[in-house]
Amino acid sequence: MGEFQVHRVRFFAYVPAGIRCLAHSARSDRLALARTDGALELYNFAANYFQEKGIPGHETRSIEALCWAAGDRLFGAGLSGDISEYDLEKLRVKYSLDGFGGPIWSLAADAHGTQLAVGCEDGSVKLFQILPDKIQFERSLDRQKGRILSLSWHPSGTRIAVGSIDLLRVFDVRSGHSIQRILVDRCLQGPQSRECVVWSVAFLSDGTIVSADSAGKVQFWDSEKGTLLETHPVSSSAVLSLAVCETEDSIVVGTSEGAVYQFQLLPLKWGSAESQWVRTKPFQHHTHDVRAVAHSATALISGGLDAQLVIRPLMEKVHGKSYDAALRKFTYPHRRLVSCAKKARLLLFQFPQHLELWKLGATSATGKDGDVLPVSRAPEHLLQLKSKGPEHICCSCVSPCGSWVAYSTASRFHLHRVRYENDRVSIKRVAAMPKLQGSAHQLLCSADSSRLLVASDQGSVHILELLEPGGCRHLQTLRPNSESMEAVYLLAVSADGDWLAAAGGDWAINIYSLRHFKPHCTVPAYNCAVTALAIHPVTNNLVIAHSDQQVFEFSIPSREYTAWSRKVQQHGLHRGWLERDTPITHITFNPKEPAHILLHDTHMFCILDKSLPLPDAATSLMNQITLKQLSEKARRGHVHAFKICKKYRPLLFMELLDEGSLVVVERPVMDIKTQLPPPVQQKKFGT
Amino acid sequence: MAAATCSRRAMLQKDAAALEAATASSGDDEAPEEVTFERAKAAAETERRRAGETARRDKALLKERRRRREELFKEQKKRKLLPENILEELTSGPRIDNDKLPNPTKEGEDVGDGSENKNEGNKRRRNKRKKPLAVRRKGRYMAVRLKDQDLTSQHQELAKDFVQNHLYGPGTNRITANQFFSFANKKSPVKKAAVQFVNKSWGAEKKQKAKQFKKRWMSTKMVSSI
Repeated sequence: MGEFQVHRVRFFAYVPAGIRCLAHSARSDRLALARTDGALELYNFAANYFQEKGIPGHETRSIEALCWAAGDRLFGAGLSGDISEYDLEKLRVKYSLDGFGGPIWSLAADAHGTQLAVGCEDGSVKLFQILPDKIQFERSLDRQKGRILSLSWHPSGTRIAVGSIDLLRVFDVRSGHSIQRILVDRCLQGPQSRECVVWSVAFLSDGTIVSADSAGKVQFWDSEKGTLLETHPVSSSAVLSLAVCETEDSIVVGTSEGAVYQFQLLPLKWGSAESQWVRTKPFQHHTHDVRAVAHSATALISGGLDAQLVIRPLMEKVHGKSYDAALRKFTYPHRRLVSCAKKARLLLFQFPQHLELWKLGATSATGKDGDVLPVSRAPEHLLQLKSKGPEHICCSCVSPCGSWVAYSTASRFHLHRVRYENDRVSIKRVAAMPKLQGSAHQLLCSADSSRLLVASDQGSVHILELLEPGGCRHLQTLRPNSESMEAVYLLAVSADGDWLAAAGGDWAINIYSLRHFKPHCTVPAYNCAVTALAIHPVTNNLVIAHSDQQVFEFSIPSREYTAWSRKVQQHGLHRGWLERDTPITHITFNPKEPAHILLHDTHMFCILDKSLPLPDAATSLMNQITLKQLSEKARRGHVHAFKICKKYRPLLFMELLDEGSLVVVERPVMDIKTQLPPPVQQKKFGT
Repeated sequence: MAAATCSRRAMLQKDAAALEAATASSGDDEAPEEVTFERAKAAAETERRRAGETARRDKALLKERRRRREELFKEQKKRKLLPENILEELTSGPRIDNDKLPNPTKEGEDVGDGSENKNEGNKRRRNKRKKPLAVRRKGRYMAVRLKDQDLTSQHQELAKDFVQNHLYGPGTNRITANQFFSFANKKSPVKKAAVQFVNKSWGAEKKQKAKQFKKRWMSTKMVSSI
């Protein structure tokens, strides 16, 4: 496998924010997810559940509800009282409109996608008309007492069911009057004084209203008569979320205890027309409250305050026992939050509101394979750089020499010059920044720290020249030949500084020549999202990892896929490799071993040795442990190109430093969970 | 407490001085005055009453002053009007540096933003108005009506409190992460280390309280022993 001295870094105190709401679009098969810190993420289910886009959070702009409407337009509303539409190409808020009803708790679009209904703190339900490029206030339904916490349209678009405190209401949309008022029981057990909050409602096409409330009940009501049809006590704590599938025969609910239940509409007897809602499957994938659930055609999707997104495909909807039926759990972002200054041995950690710069520790001891060496110099926290203002940081980078730190929020881009003088660190902000068009989505420094590359909107990449002793100049803006509307989100620069590869939201990879500042070529289109890019320092081959776990190698000088890449495609990758569930987030190279490609995802780190044969279906992919036990001679017959190490996980970052030392940044799930808000106590028998 | 004992001591000294003065004056007269027992007793009593009254008044005044200060601090804390360093400055001296006032709409860095400013209009303004605004570092601001801001943020706070109360308030049966995750450890055949080890920063408030109580107790003991 090759031997490295590994810096095992566990001081990145990353805590992801909890998931507040989810919205699944059946049309584009995408999932929009909002976190409690106001960040928005977009997962593409077709591209192997890759998190393809992200809009950074905002202190004052929390998102309480999301919905897709009128095709692929995404709307959100939150406690600030604004309704926003998101620009999914430029990755920012397109516009926001004050609802004038106080904080907004719920948002839903009707079945035709022409109207938005919002439920406000002051007890009003407001209707907004969706126009091609904006939304317009239409009218307000009769205002009632009590905040509107949840609402749901009848599929016909004539009624709206609304959940408030202790009661449900049904509104007639045409007249705007409340036509039904249904009181919901308070707690089943415990003090009666505690009010019952209807956290979520759903209006089915047969006139049934389903409600989920804080007393732990899921109830079915007749909207015409206002009578209770069924009660299902689900939990001793609150039921927080509810979602119905499009065919209306399955419901998913999420509770405060972290459990997710499925309800199904099943016939009472085999072959009889009469059917009943039955609680069928419980799932306990979360430890904390499940505040958001969604139901796609084939899967239950749940997001909890433990920051986990869980996608549970339903066996009866997925044909066969294939890889599609596997459970997916996402805790870590599919983006790089760590950057490394190789020469200066520094690590830069990105948090929502600040950056941390650490100097790696060192050891003077040597040992044999597998030894844990004592640290002679402890890692040092050099700098904490706080970003002012309510916007969160969307990208950051540190130059390889460690003397420049750049980061960007949605609206502003910042560059700092860092100096190290005998154990003291001083930092100075570069004040004279050139005005750049569009916001930055990714930052990268060239290998000689002389240039900074800024990925921006509409496929453009700005090139800035870093000047001593602390200045910067705009050199050029590169644009692709073909018109692209999508923002660039991945960059890779060659070690000699001649080539730049940029991947955008439309998954096209453009290669530019940095010597002539013009487009060189584009990589042949491949219909899957790009998760990592890197250019080999010796051969200038571009290595591309896609979200369907394919790996390509593209020769930039000769503008074609390399022979090795063709061979891989003909032979096909090993099944064990293709069925990993996290994308490769970083690729790096070993200059001493040009045939090696180092890649990592959350659960493994792999050295891809191009000189060795590819594994066939019969051999096991992870054979490093068995190889270790074999003799030198026997080993030669069993080695294959994928050398996989699973010792370090969950892995957020991996980079090769000089002289065969490797830095890995881990963040154990348990460390995150202890930092989260307190969970609900669960009675376990025998404890 | 210390202030109270101090004042009491001062009062005692004052009384002693008065007594001395009285004896001295009586010493000056050649012929001692005839003072009936009743009169002397009455005089002594009024004297004592007066002393008691002044002491009580002093105490009440002090109490009142302390209460007012406490209120001011409480209000200050509640509204978070100004950061601590400004408060410190306000209390230490009446002069306020203009450039140290926080600008809520200002965006930028807390490190290394120099006083230079590229905004032309701002420069002109700076030249026009001489002294008080010359130290303002940034001109990038926008005007907002504070009244609206307050109202929306207040509504937002209320809404957040509602969620917080319903998810984490009393009766929601929440436990700490340590307890929650130790259940698994309890039942599993392989016992692992605790999820969290005791951190020295925990219970800082209680520790501080205990420390103060001990100090106070010691001081009362010392005073009584004297």
